[in-house]
Amino acid sequence: MHDHDHDHDHDHHHDHDGHHHPRPASDVELRARALEALLVEKGLVSSDAIDAVIDRYVNDVGPQNGARVVARAWTDPAYRDRLLTDGTAAIGELGYAGEEGHTMVVVENTPDVHNVIVCTLCSCYPWPVLGLPPTWYKSAPYRARVVAEPRAVLEEFGVEVPATTEIRVWDSTAEVRYLVLPMRPEGTEALAEEELAELVSRDSMIGTGLPQTPAAR
Amino acid sequence: MSGDALVATLDLPRANGELVFDEPWQARALGMGVVTIEALGIGAVEWRDALADAIERHGYDPGEDPASAYYAAWVDALECLVTAHGTDQHEH
Repeated sequence: MHDHDHDHDHDHHHDHDGHHHPRPASDVELRARALEALLVEKGLVSSDAIDAVIDRYVNDVGPQNGARVVARAWTDPAYRDRLLTDGTAAIGELGYAGEEGHTMVVVENTPDVHNVIVCTLCSCYPWPVLGLPPTWYKSAPYRARVVAEPRAVLEEFGVEVPATTEIRVWDSTAEVRYLVLPMRPEGTEALAEEELAELVSRDSMIGTGLPQTPAAR
Repeated sequence: MSGDALVATLDLPRANGELVFDEPWQARALGMGVVTIEALGIGAVEWRDALADAIERHGYDPGEDPASAYYAAWVDALECLVTAHGTDQHEH
């Protein structure tokens, strides 16, 4: 199937006048297929590896990993202690490895402290546990405003933090990535770890949201 | 840099925070890109430049779906880099 004539009859140096007409999707699709076939034939990639990536991205994997970490911490006090002491190692226990050289630091929400993460410089994000960052996380307004006026920003996300609760903003770097350990919602005492994980939203681990409550589901 | 880490730096088309694909081939093109970027050892700057060039070549059509335009450029950029790097495994 990778030998159809259509394959690479164009080269990449043709002139473009800036008014290139959009190609019909079917054409791009064929080119994408042809490229994949070529790469697979050359042994550079495997279709299985591509499938695995699609699975993770399309199901927007990330947050589930983080949610499992949080649910484990809620149900296993010893794990919670390890997580807060050495986030990288404790997250690694569940099989989620960060990129080399990244330290994962987990910050715990309590009635007295609400944590929020940001990357003021660019878009550093704990992607092995949260997947791809949402667009707003990378936006200039979020990056600037969550530092200057965190309470107002959280309100816009629908998170009302009591006036008596301190808000701490953690600025991620190339070396250190933060993950928020949200408070376990009330009324979840009877839930198993897997059920708890379903309550943990991506935003609750960034600090711009709260875990769902069982009643809300 | 892993393909995942590189892609995490990009502004992929999204709606309400979730990735958007107008057609299934676009998700496949994304997956192919991640694996290929990693296999060829392509860096973030090189990829972004290639993608920016491809987007410029593609041109802007207000009537076109953003995800379709983006992944058309994505495939174009990937073709260019595969042509430039060849299809031998990266060695370091």
